[in-house]
Amino acid sequence: MKNINRRTALGLGLSTAIVLAGTGRSFAADPIKIGFPANLTGNAASLDAPMLNGGKLAAAEINAAGGVLGRPIELVVYDTKSDPTVIATVASQLIDSDKVVSIIAYSDSDSVLAIGPQIQKAQIPLITPGATSPKLPSQLGNEVFLACFGDNVQAAVGADFALNNLKAKTGYLLTDLGTEYTTLLSDYFVKTYEHGGGKLLGKDTYKTGDKTFTAQIAKIKALPEAPGFIYAASLVDEVTLILKQLRQAGINVPVVGGDGYDSPLLLEVGGKAAEGAYFTTHSYIGVGATPKVQKFMDAYKAANKVDPENAFAALGYDAVKLMADAITRAGAVDSAKIRDAIAATSGLDGVTGTITYRAGIAVPDKSVSVIGVKDGKLFLASEAAPTFVPEP
Amino acid sequence: MSSFEYILQQVINAVSLGSLYALVAVGLSIVFGVLKLTNFAHGDVMMVGAFTTVLLIGIGMPFIPALMCGIIGAAMAGFLIERIAYRPIRNAPDVTRLLTSLAVTYILENFGILVFSSSPRNFPLPATLNDSWQLLDGAITFTNINILTLVLTFVSLIGLGWFITKTTLGIGMRAASEDMAAAQLVGLDINRLIVVAFVVASAFAGLAGVLWAAQAGVVQPQMGFTPLLKAFVAAIIGGFGSIAGALVGGFMLGALEIFIVAFLPDEITPYRDAIVFSLLIAFLLFRPGGLLQPNREVKL
Amino acid sequence: MVRLLLVTLLLVLVAGVAFGAPYLMSDYFVRVLLIIALNSIFVLSLSLSNGFTGVFSLGHVGFIGAGAYVSGILSLTVAQKASLLPNLPVFMNWFSMPFLPATLTAGAFTALLAVIVGYPLMRLSGYFVSVATMGFLIIVNVVLINASNFTRGARTFTGVPLDTSLPWVFGWLVVTLFVLWRLVYSPFGRRMKAVRDDTVAASAIGIDMLNTRLSAFAIGAFFAGVGGSLYAHYLGSFSPVTFYFAMTMNLIAMLVLGGMGSLSGAIIGVICVTLLSEVLRSVERGFTIGDFIVPALFGASQVALGFIFILIMIFRPKGIMGESEFGFGLFRRSANSKIKQGEVK
Repeated sequence: MKNINRRTALGLGLSTAIVLAGTGRSFAADPIKIGFPANLTGNAASLDAPMLNGGKLAAAEINAAGGVLGRPIELVVYDTKSDPTVIATVASQLIDSDKVVSIIAYSDSDSVLAIGPQIQKAQIPLITPGATSPKLPSQLGNEVFLACFGDNVQAAVGADFALNNLKAKTGYLLTDLGTEYTTLLSDYFVKTYEHGGGKLLGKDTYKTGDKTFTAQIAKIKALPEAPGFIYAASLVDEVTLILKQLRQAGINVPVVGGDGYDSPLLLEVGGKAAEGAYFTTHSYIGVGATPKVQKFMDAYKAANKVDPENAFAALGYDAVKLMADAITRAGAVDSAKIRDAIAATSGLDGVTGTITYRAGIAVPDKSVSVIGVKDGKLFLASEAAPTFVPEP
Repeated sequence: MSSFEYILQQVINAVSLGSLYALVAVGLSIVFGVLKLTNFAHGDVMMVGAFTTVLLIGIGMPFIPALMCGIIGAAMAGFLIERIAYRPIRNAPDVTRLLTSLAVTYILENFGILVFSSSPRNFPLPATLNDSWQLLDGAITFTNINILTLVLTFVSLIGLGWFITKTTLGIGMRAASEDMAAAQLVGLDINRLIVVAFVVASAFAGLAGVLWAAQAGVVQPQMGFTPLLKAFVAAIIGGFGSIAGALVGGFMLGALEIFIVAFLPDEITPYRDAIVFSLLIAFLLFRPGGLLQPNREVKL
Repeated sequence: MVRLLLVTLLLVLVAGVAFGAPYLMSDYFVRVLLIIALNSIFVLSLSLSNGFTGVFSLGHVGFIGAGAYVSGILSLTVAQKASLLPNLPVFMNWFSMPFLPATLTAGAFTALLAVIVGYPLMRLSGYFVSVATMGFLIIVNVVLINASNFTRGARTFTGVPLDTSLPWVFGWLVVTLFVLWRLVYSPFGRRMKAVRDDTVAASAIGIDMLNTRLSAFAIGAFFAGVGGSLYAHYLGSFSPVTFYFAMTMNLIAMLVLGGMGSLSGAIIGVICVTLLSEVLRSVERGFTIGDFIVPALFGASQVALGFIFILIMIFRPKGIMGESEFGFGLFRRSANSKIKQGEVK
């Protein structure tokens, strides 16, 4: 063979490499495959990316400790690009090609609703770490579980907190009409706050991505009576601006919201303006957190070189632990048994609180943390279960 | 608070929002004037400028030099985009060029996500710029960054005015935007003029990007999209391709958006964007030359 | 005669794939096939205005969205309507429509919408019509978000029965292709191209520019509405953001890649982009060659697609097919033979 051209040489080299790789593989126990589709690009990416990092951390810890049922677990990750068409395709890839035994997926209900019909049909259990719509299980079926509380619960705790802790009998409501989460949260808030005897002096709206709220704020200023607090059903990008512009306009009443605020950006961007902001969330992650959460924060930082971006990192972590716990208790890598084991979960101690499913209810009873901002730091203002929870 | 103070506050809000829109729209109009190209990538050049500034502040550079570097970074990005993507298709049909600019947007945005992740990052604005002024017993408020934006908008526009009326390059640029073929016939170096137009427009995008991000408090790879859409509307209302038109359109749009929320009933305010874009369509139909150029001939 | 036989054979083949695929292939490949067929309907309907008539619309996805919502609302059961859309007007809440009539109604609705919207907009050309139709897309999005009595606002619209199967989509694709083929290669089709290539000359020889453009726009919108309905019944749940700029970019990329003045080009573009993104989506997850590990680079597939798109724009601006058709020599003959026989005036 005098004339080996470059292409042949490359081909030979490649095939040798493949053969070597094939023989070099160790014959350890087959991993247990758990599907982990996530929107790593597109508009849900800032929540799903930390969620995946948290999930990977939990999987690494479980595997380092010997795996589940003597086998390692493997997260089968796909980027579904915040596109429902891709989600539907990836679902069948996970089910048919990768043959996953269960799925952990998403932080928004749009995406869970898109994947739901297929996992329901294939009878593969799904845990969503962060989609907080309490309607999901009833919309989809018996295979769907939330690892987080529902929006009705957190809105109720927010309303209770305003009435009892802040003693605010009058309020003002700002709603982001651009997302399902904020619209649901706002509806649930109105129900509980008015049920508890609070009075809303007015309501206003805006759309995700708005940067200027000065017009809405001037309207609040022009009210004949100043509200005791403002409930802003918002995401963190907007609420930091709302806070800044409120404070700049001289309105210093407390601002209350949901777990959409839960991001380091609240303090970084909000700065001094974030004083007097309160939000309901899954777990307090920050300076002075409980040792359990601190341990998670340290491990996350060691693995990803950044602090946990938001509570979704912890939720992703807990969801994987929850799934591993269920597989262990099921005693077999069998989707139906795993589903029953998830439903029977009781007292599982996670970073974001204790997870217990009551019979027939796929939204766990978890206590809600109310976090406040004081002197430029987060602090745990209250930890409570609501007294009145509106119907999902 | 009296209704007079309420109206005055809303006017201040409108001016401050309008100056940002004007700044973005001016850049769009410069490129459109010379190249007749609807440059969708303008928003992503804003993103480049904002990220450059944030990264430099992150390594300890003060705000003003970092802002300058952000403008330079954006100008360089504009230069590269023109050289790599737009020059090969300069004589292609309108639609091809529109599509190429969409593709550039798509690449830059996703590249930004690859490098920086799509999570928003804090814009570390010096605290003094966030301080606010309280007038009439706190009834009227505005912040230092609002003032800075307004001042920089006017300073940069005066600079631009000087450039296009007093320098050879600038006059050549205007000539090219009036009639490209004639400019070429009288011996102007068209390539050079287009590069200059792109660099100037991108520098404006950089400035607008930094100020936009400073007011928003965050930078994000997707940040350029909303201002870009708004600037389109502003540029068309004013007269696409006209710098003065972009300025007027920007302030008009700012006023419109604020006043819809401020003075219309609550049932209508959520339709703000629909009203704004209906107005855009109305202008395209009935006054395609925009406010300032009612008689301009528009080639259909 | 031979032609008739071949066409029949082709139809039988298509039907065979449509009905047989679910038994022969994994669900994943069936879905990829279905998406190719569905996107073909979208891109074909888009090509009518953007490719053949020279009205480069960025608002097509607005029609797809409108069709999806109309069909979705009509298809919910009465019980679902009561719980999901409690404020729906009385005349709409007492019935539930089956798949086919709901799809046809969606198509009729979007065609009507296109006539209303197009009547003013089709007077514009070049950039202006692109920007104006983009405005239409944004207005549709705002209305979908705010008309919450009908659409549940930004909340996910859910509960639409999953009726869309491969035979349905293939059936509609054949109908779309047949209707468009007859239109494009007819006197009307030549009017469309005349308007596209030279507006002034077309008007001078007595072609009603507005009428021609408006017809193309409305027929395109009809099939967009039909496609939207199929899409709604494929996903089962969707929200306003599903029908926005990301989808617009995707469809335009497919159209331009395949060639804007060619029906078979549109389908080829869809196949290329769909398969390419499926492959890239798997590659970007990272892989290993021997000891060399390529890490996951999520988002790389979009960047790669963007570059391919620009390269096409620079080196083959008319797309893969340009304006020629690829039809095994079956279909072109009809147009030519008519010319020979002097049927076409």
